[in-house]
Amino acid sequence: MGRLKSFFGYTTAALAFFVILATFLGLNFFSSKLVSATGIKVSPRFTGGEVIKTIYHNAYKTMIHRPVFDGLIGERKTGFIQINWEPLNDWPEVIEETIDYTGDNVEDFFIKIETKTGNTIITSKNPQVVGIEKTYVLKSGCAVRILLKKQ
Amino acid sequence: MTNKANNVESSEHISITKTLLLTLPMMFFTFMMLSAGKIPAEPNKIIALTITFIFANTIFFLMLYKEKTDKYRAILFITYAICFVISFISNLMEIRGSMAISQENLLLCKTPFCHIVIPMTIIPLALSKTIIFPGTMVGAFASIASMLVLWIGASLALGRGFCGWGCFFGGLDDGFSRIFKRPIIKHINPKWHYLPFAVLLATALTSAMLLNPTYCEWLCPYKTVTEYVEVTTTKIFIQTIIFVSLFLALVVILPILTKKRTQCGLFCPFGAFQSFTNKINPFEIRINQEACIKCKRCIQICPAFSMTEETLKDGKARFTCIKCGKCVDNCPKGALLFHVKGTSLTGSAATFRLLFLYPAFLFLVTMAGSNIQDTILRIMRLITTGSMILR
Repeated sequence: MGRLKSFFGYTTAALAFFVILATFLGLNFFSSKLVSATGIKVSPRFTGGEVIKTIYHNAYKTMIHRPVFDGLIGERKTGFIQINWEPLNDWPEVIEETIDYTGDNVEDFFIKIETKTGNTIITSKNPQVVGIEKTYVLKSGCAVRILLKKQ
Repeated sequence: MTNKANNVESSEHISITKTLLLTLPMMFFTFMMLSAGKIPAEPNKIIALTITFIFANTIFFLMLYKEKTDKYRAILFITYAICFVISFISNLMEIRGSMAISQENLLLCKTPFCHIVIPMTIIPLALSKTIIFPGTMVGAFASIASMLVLWIGASLALGRGFCGWGCFFGGLDDGFSRIFKRPIIKHINPKWHYLPFAVLLATALTSAMLLNPTYCEWLCPYKTVTEYVEVTTTKIFIQTIIFVSLFLALVVILPILTKKRTQCGLFCPFGAFQSFTNKINPFEIRINQEACIKCKRCIQICPAFSMTEETLKDGKARFTCIKCGKCVDNCPKGALLFHVKGTSLTGSAATFRLLFLYPAFLFLVTMAGSNIQDTILRIMRLITTGSMILR
């Protein structure tokens, strides 16, 4: 038993060098494999969630992300929805738009955003829509996170 | 045969030729890692590569020839930390013109991932398969997946040796802890040894509850020398005061006063978390109790609070050991040794040490290499153009 343990000890110790070597040489391969095999991704609380609808206007496009209520286990009572605007041609100074994120053909809120300053006004038409969490003026466009509360 | 006898025997027999032969494989692998398999075309890059290569392999040669681990490890480790800070900040200045992470970068998930976040991501990862960090999964600098792979590899091979040989922050408090010859604060209540585990528990639970890496947001002192969220609210301003204060206290002042790595040993949640990987790792520090004279020199000098009266009785370092080798270097009786688990203590201490040094040193050089080369290039740029930063 002692000899076996000793053999196993020396073998794992020698393997340590090859583990380090493989870690660096296969870093890109193992990284991609780790992601594809486990399906791990960045929390939608940071990414804003997947884009569920893109609306093209003349000068810009509107990207509506899915509502994010994701919690540690199941969903939380409060969440947010992220809307991004990106310029296509002339970037307007003010964007005014009504958004239907639920897809029921009923407007959920009206938003007016000054694209240079980020000043935002929102008018809720859905009791789930609570208010503005934050407005981001980006190098290419702008984004708003709107607070939601489950009814 | 005692370990002391082993050490004496090996120091008597080690020759320059044998040391050179043992250094040759490391020269080959470090060249591969530093050059990524090809010699750069630009002359300044060749100079940076050559300097880094010679520097690293001289360190390894001396480590073997002089039979001192920590003394030479520290030179490379501290250089690594300094070069990392210079390289990282310079890159940020080039890319975004500031050390501050903008709200845009946070929204676009462009924040480099750091290993210290890992313990905070475990619970949400297990329950929701998501990482609670605004970084990129693959294909970007310090992407989440690549840092996870590095961490898994290092944990399997080195355990908490990661903190002594791979952490790009550890060299800072290691460096500050070596400024004075003797400690001014000599006694730290052993109860403080549990603090990093309390910080780990608190930050892991709060991060899971809030789905936000709370340690990074509120406490991480290393944001002072890397990147931080731009101050746009009172909350962020308070966070900034906290992490800068922690940096001054734990990374600068206390290491100088105690000659210990206080951030790593008394606060870092990653360090506490990484301690558990020592359990699944083949290497450990053992005490040959026949040779030990209980002088407690190892307790005095251990930078990670891993040697205590109990460890002397148990015959091995605490599971928080960072495997820096300082105790092994400084034991007056050669009673401490790197050891391979499962093997007899009477085995060759030199072989045990070599088996550990090869993976540990290769890990250190590979992690440090790009930062040292980049810093050399920036110094050359500073000399020739007057600026380290490419505008």
